[in-house]
Amino acid sequence: MPGAIAFQFPDLFFGGLWVTIQISALGLAGALVIGTAVALLRISPAAPLRWLGAAYVEFFRNTPLVVQLFFLFLGLPLVGLRFSSDTFESIFRAAATGMALYHGAYVAEVVRGGLLGVDKGQIEAARSLGLSYAQMLRYVQLPQTFRAVVPPVGNIAIALVKNTSLASTIGVTELLFGAEIVESRTFRAEESFATATLLYLLLTIPLGLAVNYLERRLLVAR
Amino acid sequence: MRPDTWGMFVDPAILRFFGQGLLETLSIAAASTLLSFPAGLLFALGRLSRRAWIRWPSIAYIEAIRALPVLLLIVYFGIKGSTLFRPLFGSDFDLPRFWAGVLGLSLYTSAVLAEIIRAGIVSLPGGQAEAARALGLSYAQSLRHVILPQALRLMVPAMMGQLTTVIKDTSLVGTIGVFELLRQGRTIYTQFFNPIEVLLFVSLVYFVVCFALSQGSRRLEVGRVPRIAQVKVQELQLRDQAA
Repeated sequence: MPGAIAFQFPDLFFGGLWVTIQISALGLAGALVIGTAVALLRISPAAPLRWLGAAYVEFFRNTPLVVQLFFLFLGLPLVGLRFSSDTFESIFRAAATGMALYHGAYVAEVVRGGLLGVDKGQIEAARSLGLSYAQMLRYVQLPQTFRAVVPPVGNIAIALVKNTSLASTIGVTELLFGAEIVESRTFRAEESFATATLLYLLLTIPLGLAVNYLERRLLVAR
Repeated sequence: MRPDTWGMFVDPAILRFFGQGLLETLSIAAASTLLSFPAGLLFALGRLSRRAWIRWPSIAYIEAIRALPVLLLIVYFGIKGSTLFRPLFGSDFDLPRFWAGVLGLSLYTSAVLAEIIRAGIVSLPGGQAEAARALGLSYAQSLRHVILPQALRLMVPAMMGQLTTVIKDTSLVGTIGVFELLRQGRTIYTQFFNPIEVLLFVSLVYFVVCFALSQGSRRLEVGRVPRIAQVKVQELQLRDQAA
């Protein structure tokens, strides 16, 4: 019976699930901040800033996330940058940072689309009312953008939850690595992976339904 | 950074080693794409079928697989792939690691391709199918001569975009012991202790391949893709870009 094994090894399955949730939440928060910043670079009036934003997006979207994780995990300590003196804490933070950097590039593209979708007249009106560029962003362009990008960012969040499994490659005991450890101890591959599957579905299917619901609601509203 | 560690990237033996890795990466991507396209087409048609006993299993397959991390599928086939095929090929059958990885990737990619193809079919004007049936074509004939040629053509850029995801995902197959590009790089930096240089070089290679593909897919002229298909493709590209 799949799932029963989860109660034999609660540390690895439920503990792993909790680590997966933590990396997802930290990664998503980071991705939103990075994504918004990079999107603002990409629509900035200064050309070098636009190029910088474009380079960021293209680099992170066109290289594998595992390579980026390995770089954060192995490369940075060699140049003296450590996430933490504790090894376990360090790989955990490297994983969360990798998630934020990689998915930030996708968030940036979505936010940029949202920013460009705001009617030009609104921006001109705000500027002619005497708002500075920063005030216009803060009170006019960004609030409208954030509402429009909720469903696509939800899709990125689903991808992010699934991609946290890659943290297992640098040794973070999240859900997939937990299942692999149980498999190697018990040789019960079917049960271990079926249980991990169920737990992943528990996270991604409700997220998917929520995104579909929001998509439909916002589609009607427009 | 230690400058001497860059010298290796002009050594022909090292470059040949990386070249073998790239070749393996491209072979995995090609094999996975070739396997998952027909499967994806079948599941797309299955999901559009009027018969509930075909439609519901197709929906369940597509949605369940898309909700899973592709690494989980790859690791599972890496561990249990041989046992799964023993009833078919005899008790001493050993599934090569390469094919275990291809299987995991194809399972996932077929579900995504099914959704891309379905978006293409659904976005065609209903008059196309009706006209074909009214002219006396059977369902299979109308698919073969009217619907699929138009729908697949429309979806070529989206499918090429998915190919860049497949190429990035091949880097996961190294975890089950296939010597693709990243795995070759790992072998080298454990020898030479230069992960920064090797990982930057490996990223550059992935970047060149994937960037060229994604730019190419954006430039392709296939006609106007209807809004409904664009929305679906964007959703797929955000939700199903792994690795």
